[in-house]
Amino acid sequence: MLNVDLIEKMRTIVGKDNLSVATCELYCYSSDASQIRGIPEVVIKPQTTVQVSDIVSIAYEHDIPVTARGAGTGLAGGCVPLEGGIVLDMSGMDRIVEMDFDNLQVVVEPGIVQEKLNKALEPYGFFFPPDPGSSAMCTLGGLIANNGSGMRSVKYGTTRSYVLGLEVVMADGKIIRTGSKTMKTVAGYSLTDLMVGSEGTLGIITQAIIKVRAIPKERSVIFASFDSPELAGKAVVRVLSSGIVPSACEILDANIIRAINTYDPKLGLPLAGAILLFEVDGTEAEVKEGVDLIVKTCEGLASGVRTASDKKERDEIWAARRLVGAAISRLDPMRTRVYVGEDVGVPIKEIPRMLRKVDEISKEFNLPIMTYGHIGDGNLHTGMCIDMLSDDAWKKLNAAADKIHRTAIEIGGTVTAEHGVGSARSEYMRLELGNALDVMITIKKALDPKGILNPGKMGV
Amino acid sequence: MSNLDLRSILKCVRCGTCRSVCPVFEQVGWESASSRGRMLVAHGVSQGLEADQDVLNSLNTCTTCGLCEQMCPSGASPVQVVQDARHHLVLKGRMTDAQAALRDAAALAGNPLGETQYRHAWLEDASDIKEHAPYVFFVGCLGAYRYPELTRRTFDLLKKFDVTLIPEEVCCGSPLFRTGLDPDALVSKNLEQIKRIGAHTIITGCAGCYTTLKNDYHSDLKVMHVSEFLAEHLQELDLKHLDITVTYHDPCHLGRCNGIFDAPRQIITSICELKEMRSHHEQSRCCGAGGGVLKGYPDLSMALSKKRLEEIPGGVDYLVTSCPLCRTNLKRGGPKVEVIDILDLMEMAMK
Repeated sequence: MLNVDLIEKMRTIVGKDNLSVATCELYCYSSDASQIRGIPEVVIKPQTTVQVSDIVSIAYEHDIPVTARGAGTGLAGGCVPLEGGIVLDMSGMDRIVEMDFDNLQVVVEPGIVQEKLNKALEPYGFFFPPDPGSSAMCTLGGLIANNGSGMRSVKYGTTRSYVLGLEVVMADGKIIRTGSKTMKTVAGYSLTDLMVGSEGTLGIITQAIIKVRAIPKERSVIFASFDSPELAGKAVVRVLSSGIVPSACEILDANIIRAINTYDPKLGLPLAGAILLFEVDGTEAEVKEGVDLIVKTCEGLASGVRTASDKKERDEIWAARRLVGAAISRLDPMRTRVYVGEDVGVPIKEIPRMLRKVDEISKEFNLPIMTYGHIGDGNLHTGMCIDMLSDDAWKKLNAAADKIHRTAIEIGGTVTAEHGVGSARSEYMRLELGNALDVMITIKKALDPKGILNPGKMGV
Repeated sequence: MSNLDLRSILKCVRCGTCRSVCPVFEQVGWESASSRGRMLVAHGVSQGLEADQDVLNSLNTCTTCGLCEQMCPSGASPVQVVQDARHHLVLKGRMTDAQAALRDAAALAGNPLGETQYRHAWLEDASDIKEHAPYVFFVGCLGAYRYPELTRRTFDLLKKFDVTLIPEEVCCGSPLFRTGLDPDALVSKNLEQIKRIGAHTIITGCAGCYTTLKNDYHSDLKVMHVSEFLAEHLQELDLKHLDITVTYHDPCHLGRCNGIFDAPRQIITSICELKEMRSHHEQSRCCGAGGGVLKGYPDLSMALSKKRLEEIPGGVDYLVTSCPLCRTNLKRGGPKVEVIDILDLMEMAMK
């Protein structure tokens, strides 16, 4: 249990400016972008690994919950302190510790923001590919803890593919290092892989060795319009088996197209039933070949295909696409986007079927559901906006979200492809994972016997 | 305005985009200093969260620069929510010492500076105040008391175009609107006089006055910034070319909030070379003075000013702006080049 003496002790560890028990501050750290709420008893901004270790040691000794937080942009309540205790705001540990481009890697602290890292890498000709919609504000620590990905994952994979090693503070305060600076290692269990996506339930990430890639020389964006999302889904399946790997493959349904046009009117997207945005990157020849192949493959299914005219148009469409999750709130002043049931993933072949199911659910609950997402890897974001002051709307919303989750599992998919389980989706873990969840629980108990690390999350 | 609009607060989806742009959050680093935090605090206040000093600090450290609103994907209006929340608390008697001082000065002296001397003391010839005219020049408090020379020269230029002054001008009310105080007495005093003058257009050289007169007065008067008015008369002014390069700071309340970007640039480029600051137009960084922050949180305000000054490009002779409050705060930050008003630049070109 926390008490005044312990708070003073922790204040001494991090310095008076890096700890707050102000009611107002605690209130501000009680949520992320999900509907999950929990008020911490103290918010601490550690500046070093040793400080994290010292704080966690105290927490361990006194059974105090510890919840790590990056930028708090999560959509499942991952950083919300459900049982109070300590929130560790890691955003102050945001240094790039080492740039080692000869070894294609950088060492970073967890608080660094994705976009800031990429801005720092750009002059050297490198980038960190995972590109979530929140790249301007989300931290690397949050990306690693949730194994986030985003628009480039169809070609570049998820954050996991870029983490070579981690420094982690364990539940008892012990500092360990996982992985290595080598591109490959099979020495021992892959604790790096265990930590990636563990959402702060197994340890607190304090440093990461991150693999970086050379920035591709060329990029091109293709807009393909379709009469329906289903036709678009068919085109995706066809493109992905044609031999080309696009660096992005996004779907926007009719409502999302309207939202993008409202957010950035100069884009003027055609008002089709659905649009697919493909990006191809690589050498000039590779890009040309890729574009030709995609255009040809979409023929017969698409009602129109064109490429972006220049870099400016390309940057603008991606900027708008990144923010569209929230921008759908703009379609109606009375409604606000609520992130629930928003991140299902299905096997690629099942995309058209899932799109059809989402449409049926929308009709069943008489609730507009807007679909966008990384269709190239089967990840669909289903966006719903409601009147926040209507109890009835909330009931419908939660019922529709529940059905979306169960449908995804039924057709062999997942309730969360990249946003994380947090507590918003922990109730589906048993259904999706079966007895594998028991193994997760065993691991959790072994590494965090007192259950102080981010309690109440991931179904463990 | 007295009621916090819950629906407006709930428009925030807490995506955190504002964390990436809010200059105050960048400086302070705590969630309560970001727009998202302030939306949560405003929500809390509306639900009975006790307005202690931390709540007041969260709400009152916003400069109302509006960059978060510009970038907000969900279309929330954090600046309005912050102002409403401040007002909501003021009505309950909860305010910072700086707000209380502001309120008292405005009530006592008719201006937030507490200056009691005659507002148009800079005016050389009292007969320049005409009883009736189509245009009035709204001097503003900083113009009257802190930059009287600039004001005199500005009016010398303007009076050729049938422009008069408001005889008993008082503060436009901007600092009171921004900080949630009651500006009604000031607004009616100014409006009644403008009505008597029979003017159809108010001209001002201050970004704070501009946005207040234009958006908060709810009158059918046309409001123009001096730079807009003079840009329309460039031919008549016979400005010489100067062999210098300057950069331009867009005042938030003139540029981002009201879209006045071109007129000042039109004047500058008709005189000399213009090199843009690192952020400009809609994306322009705040000088750190607005929203009562200069008065209430001078250290924070100074830090924001220094950050803005880091954006001055190399090889420029002056930093030009078109708002006396921005100018004052940018000067506080210790600029490498002199900070001047756009009228100063015009004057140089007239010599």
